[in-house]
Amino acid sequence: MSDQKPAVVVTNVTKHFKKAPKRREYTTFKTEVVRFIKGERELNEAQHIEALRGVDLVVPKGSTMGIIGRNGSGKSTLLKLITGIYQPTSGTVQVNGRISALLELGAGFHPDFTGRENIMINGIILGMSRTEVKSRIDEIIEFAELGDFIDEQVRTYSSGMFMRLAFAVATHVDPEILIVDEILSVGDEHFSKKSRAKMNEFKSSGKTILLVTHTLDVVEDWCDQVAWIDGGKTRLVGPPAHVVAEYRRAMNAAEAEAVKTGHSALSAPGLALPEAPAAPTPQEPVRAVKVSVVDALGANLQTFAAEAKLDVLVDFEASAPQDSECTVDVKAADGRLLFSSAYRSGPLHVGAGRVRLSFPRVGLGEGAWTVVASVHAVGAVATTGVTTSFTVAPSPGVGLVRPAHAWSLETAGGSA
Amino acid sequence: MIRNLRELYQYRALLWALTVRELKARYRASVLGFLWTFLNPTLSMAVYGLVFGFLLASSTPRFPYFVFCGLLPWIYFSSSVGSGTSAVSERRDLLTKVRFPAQVLPATIVLTNGINFLLSLPLLVILGALYGQWPTWHFVFIVPLLLVQTLFTLAITYVLSALNVAFRDLQHIVGNLLQLAFFATPVVWPIEQVKTVELQQLVMYVNPVAALVEGWHDVFFRQRTPNLTSLGVVSALSLVMMLLASSLFEHRREEFAELI
Repeated sequence: MSDQKPAVVVTNVTKHFKKAPKRREYTTFKTEVVRFIKGERELNEAQHIEALRGVDLVVPKGSTMGIIGRNGSGKSTLLKLITGIYQPTSGTVQVNGRISALLELGAGFHPDFTGRENIMINGIILGMSRTEVKSRIDEIIEFAELGDFIDEQVRTYSSGMFMRLAFAVATHVDPEILIVDEILSVGDEHFSKKSRAKMNEFKSSGKTILLVTHTLDVVEDWCDQVAWIDGGKTRLVGPPAHVVAEYRRAMNAAEAEAVKTGHSALSAPGLALPEAPAAPTPQEPVRAVKVSVVDALGANLQTFAAEAKLDVLVDFEASAPQDSECTVDVKAADGRLLFSSAYRSGPLHVGAGRVRLSFPRVGLGEGAWTVVASVHAVGAVATTGVTTSFTVAPSPGVGLVRPAHAWSLETAGGSA
Repeated sequence: MIRNLRELYQYRALLWALTVRELKARYRASVLGFLWTFLNPTLSMAVYGLVFGFLLASSTPRFPYFVFCGLLPWIYFSSSVGSGTSAVSERRDLLTKVRFPAQVLPATIVLTNGINFLLSLPLLVILGALYGQWPTWHFVFIVPLLLVQTLFTLAITYVLSALNVAFRDLQHIVGNLLQLAFFATPVVWPIEQVKTVELQQLVMYVNPVAALVEGWHDVFFRQRTPNLTSLGVVSALSLVMMLLASSLFEHRREEFAELI
């Protein structure tokens, strides 16, 4: 790349939306005219929703940037600002290169027209010229795998066919910057793989990708950098492993908070997550410091075989002798709890210590798993947890878990 | 305005593709298909011919032809404004999901109706021929009339479509106003029948569409040079309106994606 300018530069961007008018506060010609005459361009604070409160983001050319954050944190608003659908209230958005945004597929599709006709119009809407669409139409049709249906009216399509066609057009725009909002799971497994391959092709051909997703392992797998948007602000930007771990920690802390106080820190959309207590709070007599997963030889591995031995090591620090409890949770990538177990000890000595939880065999299906551990005094609730993650290599059979099992042939038939 | 027109030119492929689609979609799945382009105004003409020409026995000679001369440009104007008002507010799918030049939307509606108008002009010539009125050199005025009317219609459509995003009542108000405007425009009644010359002039200058429709009547029906003064006034007015409309539309455009 000779051009070293970043693909996207977002500087201190804020975005306010007008609140939906309450009763007796409708926008009418009168109020609007009065407002115009008074020269009020800005509404007062109370009528605003602040979707973004100061976001900074630099996406280098050719990199893949993941954007994570809770629902309502402003991710989609940010994408729409970068795409140019919205204008920022303040701050600047600079884009260097042709953007294709996969925010919603099939924009401008007309049900009464055939697939072929819709490719043309959709392609032009997405920014291709007529000749560009013509030269790529065969490729698009082939990618969408619609066969003879391409000359049928789109209203006769199944929703999967519709999405496939729309995805095919959108990814053939040949953008320099591709913006994707959680739509990688288009169609059946076969097509989903194909669309992931297409994204990989984009990545390896040096295009810039901006990806909003809630699937954290996709972020860890794909992205060069991750930005965590929280409460309308950039909370953390950095390498995926680090940002995702911090994000998980904050989510867990918020959940723990919710358990403790009875009202959920996660319930109000758009609000920032509470700061996860990173430093030890002095009142806690005991706390977990680190959790790690090791194999039979004590080696710190990333990937385990389903049948291998696995030990979870929880390092803790105690500042006062106290009856303590250690909890270990195993969670799926989407946060679902698979397994939780607690161990209660007698009084601990002051200083550092370690708890070991042994699994004779991993017993989990293929995928990424998270281990959350906490140590706390009996009767208290842990406010901090420590997290690590590992993956399980593919094994025969499918499913989340892989219990110990054995097949045998009871009767080979024909014995009656 | 210059920027607006330049952007329209820049997005001409999009404008054209949407217009073609609009034209195709209009009569798709109907048996007579494109014939409706001709049938619709013909049937309207038949209705007005029956009511005003036959029942009310209008004194105008060749009354159906007279009606048709005014009706076609009127339909061009009123359909553009009528459906153009909601041109932006209806296209949520385009404006909130992709980066889309909003000014193409009202322009598409005007262009679509303009092409429909052009396509039905031969019908007008044929009907004239049936009444023994052959084309004269005055047909050269078709070009300026068409340009001015398009500019005027585009300006009105820009304003209404931009305002309708925030005030949805507008689309209903516009429907009713168009009905009023139809009777305030010399389409089914000849302007000569207005009582006094002062009133005639009032109609012509208060209602720019009246001046345009009179122009079409002059070219096709009366076969004379249109009133160049009123045509000049309407041209100037249209230019000024287009200037204002463009800046209003430009000003409002940022809000479109948020409000629809």
